[in-house]
Amino acid sequence: MSEVQRRKYSQEERSVVFDGEFMPHIDSMYNFAFRLTFDEDDAKDLVQDTYMKAFRFINSFEQGTNAKAWLFRILKNSFINDYRKKSKKPATVDYQEVETFYNSDDVDYQSTSDLRAESVKDMLGDEISNALNGLAVDFRTVIILADLEGFTYEEMAKILDIPIGTVRSRLHRARNLLKDTLKGYAQSMGYGRDEEED
Amino acid sequence: MENTDASSPERKLQCSDVGKCFQLLERILDGELVEGGNEMLQEKLDQCQPCFAHFHLEQAIREVLKTKCTKQPLPDKLAESIRQMIQDAR
Ligand SMILES: [Zn+2]
Repeated sequence: MSEVQRRKYSQEERSVVFDGEFMPHIDSMYNFAFRLTFDEDDAKDLVQDTYMKAFRFINSFEQGTNAKAWLFRILKNSFINDYRKKSKKPATVDYQEVETFYNSDDVDYQSTSDLRAESVKDMLGDEISNALNGLAVDFRTVIILADLEGFTYEEMAKILDIPIGTVRSRLHRARNLLKDTLKGYAQSMGYGRDEEED
Repeated sequence: MENTDASSPERKLQCSDVGKCFQLLERILDGELVEGGNEMLQEKLDQCQPCFAHFHLEQAIREVLKTKCTKQPLPDKLAESIRQMIQDAR
């Protein structure tokens, strides 16, 4: 790989990069911010701060690389540094604790035959959304990045500053927790039973 | 063509290695390419009922997440106010 030539963007190039590569991700950024903070004003501030930082540090963004991942990383860092502390929600389990509790080598794959694909497809948006929002922030984050935004494990590792192996195991845990919640919903709503309706 | 029946007499009802199989299926769904993944996937879907069910469940979850959790409406004027902030910062 050739060495990256860092150079300063001209005023005009900055506008091109900002409007052409950063602004198109605003919907995804806001969705991420809202699902982190659960508050419209906090989410707005977080997105604004992120774009301000992106503008200020635009020279460290290399044109042609993944702008969305770059922006998500800034947003996630801003959230941790500025928002998590003053969050209105009581702190949920921290990932440090969570990952000490779960040994990342020993990932359990169990058959979830009592939750069926059909039941999941029949669920309303609110149920899925509530199940996602109910996850601890670090589990919620990996699901958002992987499933809502389609980032690869490698991109997620960069956004979150964690090894790929940790991405993989955290994502797996997160999906298991989500499935547990969905299973609960399915049971309480009578989905997933094979008997005919009367 | 993929057999889409929820159950098929050709599929075995016990998976010989749930851990390995499910991990493979999940990586394929996540777009993390595994060498020979497509052939292995097809074989599992054709021959193993737990793998078949797990694959479709995982796929359904990814789909509903993507279709139902990404529609948080952007507040009016957020984009505009960001552009304004950038203008002012210049
Ligand atoms: Zn199997």
